[in-house]
Amino acid sequence: MKPAAASPGQAKGEESKFKRLFVEIWKYRMTYTLLIPGLIWLILFAYLPMGGLSLAFKHYRANDGIWGSQWIALENFKYVFRDPAFAAAVWRTLYVNIIKLFITFPFPILLALLLNELRMRRYKKVLQTAVTFPHFLSWIIVSGIIINVLAYDGLVNSFLALLGLPTINFLGSEQTFYPMIILTDIWKSTGWGAIVFLAAISGIDQEQYEAAQIDGATRLQQMFRVTLPNIMPTVTIMFILSVGGLMSSGFDQIFNLANAATQNVSQVLDVYIYRITFQSSTDFGFSTAVSLFRSIVNMVLLLLADRAAKWLGGDGLFR
Amino acid sequence: MNANKKVSVKSLLLIVLAMVMVLVTACSKGSDSAATGNADEKNEDGTYKNNLTISYAGITDISKAKLDDKFHKTFSDKFNITWDYNYVDWDSWGEKLRLWINSGDLPDFASWNYVNGDAMNYIDQGLFYKFPDDWKERWPNAAKAYASTGLGDRLEEKVGGTYVLPRPVYFQNKPADPLLNQIGVIAIRKDWAKEVGFELKDAYTVSELMEYAELVKEKDPGKVGSKLIPMSFNAGDILTGFVMANNAHARVESAFYKGEDGKYKWGPADESTLTGLKLAQQAYKEGLLDPEFYTWKNNEGGDAFKVTGISAIGGLGGLASYRQDMDTAMKKNLNLNSSDVVHEALILGEDGKYRNLEQVNFWSSIVFSPNISDEKFERVMDMIDYSVTDEAQKFLNLGIEGEDWKDENGELVSLLPEGTTLEDKYPGRFEGLYVLGDDFSVINPAIKKEFRDRSVELYKEKATLSTEGNEMAAYDWDFQLYSSKAKDQANFTYETEYANLILQKGDLETNWKNWVASKQSIVQPLIDELNSEFAK
Repeated sequence: MKPAAASPGQAKGEESKFKRLFVEIWKYRMTYTLLIPGLIWLILFAYLPMGGLSLAFKHYRANDGIWGSQWIALENFKYVFRDPAFAAAVWRTLYVNIIKLFITFPFPILLALLLNELRMRRYKKVLQTAVTFPHFLSWIIVSGIIINVLAYDGLVNSFLALLGLPTINFLGSEQTFYPMIILTDIWKSTGWGAIVFLAAISGIDQEQYEAAQIDGATRLQQMFRVTLPNIMPTVTIMFILSVGGLMSSGFDQIFNLANAATQNVSQVLDVYIYRITFQSSTDFGFSTAVSLFRSIVNMVLLLLADRAAKWLGGDGLFR
Repeated sequence: MNANKKVSVKSLLLIVLAMVMVLVTACSKGSDSAATGNADEKNEDGTYKNNLTISYAGITDISKAKLDDKFHKTFSDKFNITWDYNYVDWDSWGEKLRLWINSGDLPDFASWNYVNGDAMNYIDQGLFYKFPDDWKERWPNAAKAYASTGLGDRLEEKVGGTYVLPRPVYFQNKPADPLLNQIGVIAIRKDWAKEVGFELKDAYTVSELMEYAELVKEKDPGKVGSKLIPMSFNAGDILTGFVMANNAHARVESAFYKGEDGKYKWGPADESTLTGLKLAQQAYKEGLLDPEFYTWKNNEGGDAFKVTGISAIGGLGGLASYRQDMDTAMKKNLNLNSSDVVHEALILGEDGKYRNLEQVNFWSSIVFSPNISDEKFERVMDMIDYSVTDEAQKFLNLGIEGEDWKDENGELVSLLPEGTTLEDKYPGRFEGLYVLGDDFSVINPAIKKEFRDRSVELYKEKATLSTEGNEMAAYDWDFQLYSSKAKDQANFTYETEYANLILQKGDLETNWKNWVASKQSIVQPLIDELNSEFAK
């Protein structure tokens, strides 16, 4: 059976759509010109480097370069899937990040809602600065502080000992590793993450609040009936983007807080990639194969989250 | 409208210009990377005509160095070099060099921790400079030291030329034959041993050491209190002290070995590895090790012994220079004369046999950038050739004659004030580019004679014990020079893996068996490859 040909009307519709777009661009050409530097950046630093992904299918020799190295089809992937540590790292990454996502994601929204309710502007600014500050500390510094605080002879255990309570092995326990990762992540990223939602809140039409007040809504009701629904599109987009990054866990954080005792729970995919790239013999083809696998899973997750958001009646990332 | 058009054309031109600039910057190559050069020119008096700025990446920290002091100046003047020194931190040494080599950004030459798989790969790709065929005739002293490493000639056979200069550990002053690795020497507080009634010997089994640690924990002879760490071993010391003492093939250097049947095996899966792990776990559970030993980095374990003085047993190593450093640290931090309180000993397996690795006579290497000019290469080789001579070795290790040392009837005597070292006087001495300091440490008068003698004594003891027990892990050139993807993949950080097993909950034997089974999918392909290549 022949496939049904596109109707002339459909083709005409497509044509006029592109024409409209072109007319639109030409009309606002000065504004669109502003896009060009960003597009150049994107092409140079995001799209062109993607050519390097071909290394996943090559036997890389630095002298031959990325393009000149020999194609070896899926051989690198054969070695990747042979290593049980790889599969374990994939599942561990998903596990850690899903937990992290569901626990940490609401915090910036909550903080933004609460900060929005503060009426004393100075206090609000001081508080916002205080909660945003940890974002600017590198994980090396933060992990150094945490290790010192939670060590056997650190602040917390010394305090426990002072109270006559048993000390806790925070750093060397698999049970405490994920809570430590999540709590430190909340502390470090909540303030920064709240900025996006605060920006979304500031864009809400004030008349909606005035109308709600006239209707007798309390501040809590205004928060849940006016503020939250208005920032939902932003929340959805941020959620979709977070889902798209589920396979890329915070390498700096986990790498710096992990040790031999927590190896079985801390070797996420990024740590695995680091280990095979820098601790074993160099094999950029092998590590690119792992990275490519990660990117594909990330993309699939992103598309799935986008579909799910649309299916639930919300806004998606792609129109 | 016209104005808009002008603006539009201008902005487009600007964007095109910006793009061109970005592309030119991104695609251009540093002008200094071109591999050009003439032969090195000399004046009539033999001095060098041109001053050369030579870049070098090394692991000697020169942050405190004064490159214009007498020591450094002697070399830079003699060879007319201005150094562009790139300090590489020990922890990032492997990573940084890997990136520099692969990206073609290697300085003119560098100290590189030799990894055979990588070496074959880099040589194959032309990422290292190929030495001229007649280099051994032109630089005979360097060639003699090179020949002593054993690796150089073998590698040449494989790759058809010289690309790497393996650095000799010993050259003129080999302390024993067979020579075993310096690792596996421990330091014991002998004053505490006396107080708790523990006999001093040259070698102890792991259980005997644990007995001593128990006694110290019980009686606390040093009145250290809750801070006491009976055995200040980090993960690496545990691998050496507990596991290797029971299985010489438990380490990365010798993990794949040819068994008596001529077939390759994987040492970590041997029962004797489990014996070592069980002892280590017992020590951990009984509180003989630090509860957080696995978080210790670099010197933290050793510091508990020699800096804070809260430990009864610490890892030391067999070099006299290590013992000298311990002496200095104990005097400085604890006001103790280390000769009164430190006893050095070896560790035996539970069956009373001594195990260690055969010391192959090289550690790390010197490699040159493929872009280095002939002039620079020749200048560096001249310096390397000079550095292995007797005269230079004395200068490098003792300093300036008449000022830092003197020769009294053939006996070298240090003139440095008591308690100071050459490093204190001339910090950041990186010029000993080739032969390692281990060689000279055997005769170096800056190191106390008793330490040097004891070091040699222990090397000899190691040789005797390992010959008697026949448990030395011989250096397997077949395996070491073999390179494949399977070999690269079957590369584990054993000290971390073992530490994890020791700390895991549940039955150690079951955990170890599961761990061994989990590694089989990457270990077995390598064993199969090795057996098909080299098995009898």
